[in-house]
Amino acid sequence: MNLFFGLVSAMLVGATPILLAAIGGTFTYYAGIFNIAMEGMMLVGAFCGVLGSFFLHSWLLGICCAIAGALVMAGIFVLFAVRLHTDEFLTGIALNLFAVGLTTFLLRDIFHVKGAFTDAGIRAIPALRLPLIDSIPILGKLLSGYNLIVYVAILGTGLAAFVIFRTRFGLRLRSAGYNAACLNSSGVPASTIRICSLIICGVYCGLAGAYLSLGSVRLFAENMSAGRGWISLAAVILVSGNPWGIAIISLLFGFFDGLTVFLQGSQIPTQFTAMIPYIATLVSLYFYSIRKVRRS
Amino acid sequence: MRKQALSGILGVLAALLIGALVLLLQGFNPVVTYAALLQYSLFSTSGFAATLTRSVPLVLTGLSASIAFASGPANLGQPGQLIMGALGATLVGLFVRLPTGLLVPLCILASLAGGALWSGFAALLKRVFAMDEFIVTLMLNFVADYFALWVITYPLFDTSASSPMTRPISMAAWLPDVGGVNASVLVMVLATFICWLLMSWGRSGYEWRMTGQNALFARIGGCKVDANYVRVMLITGALAGLAGGLMIMGGPHRFVKGLGANYAWDGIMIAVVANNGILATFLYGLLFSMLQQGAIGMELVTAVPSEFIDVLQAIIVLVVVAGRVSLNMVFDKLATRRKLREESKE
Repeated sequence: MNLFFGLVSAMLVGATPILLAAIGGTFTYYAGIFNIAMEGMMLVGAFCGVLGSFFLHSWLLGICCAIAGALVMAGIFVLFAVRLHTDEFLTGIALNLFAVGLTTFLLRDIFHVKGAFTDAGIRAIPALRLPLIDSIPILGKLLSGYNLIVYVAILGTGLAAFVIFRTRFGLRLRSAGYNAACLNSSGVPASTIRICSLIICGVYCGLAGAYLSLGSVRLFAENMSAGRGWISLAAVILVSGNPWGIAIISLLFGFFDGLTVFLQGSQIPTQFTAMIPYIATLVSLYFYSIRKVRRS
Repeated sequence: MRKQALSGILGVLAALLIGALVLLLQGFNPVVTYAALLQYSLFSTSGFAATLTRSVPLVLTGLSASIAFASGPANLGQPGQLIMGALGATLVGLFVRLPTGLLVPLCILASLAGGALWSGFAALLKRVFAMDEFIVTLMLNFVADYFALWVITYPLFDTSASSPMTRPISMAAWLPDVGGVNASVLVMVLATFICWLLMSWGRSGYEWRMTGQNALFARIGGCKVDANYVRVMLITGALAGLAGGLMIMGGPHRFVKGLGANYAWDGIMIAVVANNGILATFLYGLLFSMLQQGAIGMELVTAVPSEFIDVLQAIIVLVVVAGRVSLNMVFDKLATRRKLREESKE
């Protein structure tokens, strides 16, 4: 039973950053932007989270800084891809490289360390005990006591599904991607909607970054996003942007990620277990492609 | 061509100015910093030689990305292909006993094969299962990274070493230094020349570029688009693999943990700033190599951390790419105005 709870917990830990980044990515996906900068936004978010939490002595301000950092990245994306009409793919690649360079540089410049920075002064985001459910025997253990951001991610998914499919903004968002000219001619500039979608993506990626550096652990390491932005991009593409589909895919990846932790003590070398999330992405891409080919 | 050179030079200068601003904000002297950068990368004999040697993986992975992007396939797998190529060269260098004249070419072939194997796998998945190479090559990067780490931690681990690495490869496979410059530079220049011939003069290069610009047009025009796709994937994988092999043969002579990590994404970055041109890739490869080499001297002379160069590189990419688009618009406007004036004269 304890193994089961451990696996569920590890699954949620692995799923949360991917879920948050992918939900952010789904907004830009619907708005018709080929946004691959989630990786960079998440990384800058993770760094700024540590920065804020360490110097301002508050995890809440840390989260705010993380979101602000990711928003700056989103702002650069807006400036280049939407305003200056630079290729979105190229802008995304350049931004991801910029994020790696900037965070390593600042890590060295501000904290005077190479590789990773950890300190007792970094305030972590606390776990949340749900008031009523917590006292129920098994259900309480299953549902309560996770990190605050985990619940934020679940709420964020529901919110995204509501906003995209049930509100006027969501309709405009989807039409910006479906037929931008049509949206323009109806008096709503598609570029404004796209800028909004990038800002929302920045907020979600900032939260994902904050979870990476202040939630599951309490440190910043060089390139600590480790391809999660790319996996979340794959998740968005695999389910064509549906938030609930993204949630399921993220949980699946979270499960494999959790499996990695569990298999660490076994005979299998850690190098092979560490490959699991990436191979899982390939396998799910295989099923997606097969289904797509059969349909057409 | 001239337009591109102009926008490139202007972009790099603008990026250097922004970099100088960043330095000023941090309280460093930009003039001293840039002077140290140049001193240690171009204006000293050993620095210049090191710059050339360092440019080998940058130019080769850059060529790999350039040819792929220009021809259509979104091969983002250079990091993984580089590692597999390096692994191929290491295996041959460790276990094959031959004289230098035979072992060096064999190692190079093994590195080409290693890279092509990894990109070929992605091409196979695309052709058979229609899996998008964009995600596949990305994910294979991570798989290759962990696989190589396993190989150097367990089967090929050098028991006398403290961190994961293999034993040194056979001396016969070492590429010598010629006047301070490693012989791998010659291989790199040769490879660049062949790529240039292939893309600018060959029929296949023309077909590839057409496919990259408009696959439907190329197909209707009679190009074998699918076969070309596989060829491009194999060749670009082999180029990235060659980068890895030459790094082993010219540099540490063994597979060390973290090999290629610093060069991994640089190739893609260089292809992006170079707008997928072969000559431009070569030149930007040299520029980025100069910056990276100079960074070491910069850190020695001034207190600026060498990581500043990572930021500067990304700024160069953003400014050059955005500048190209804006400058093209300016050029178009000027051309239209000139045309209008000529028409009004008549």
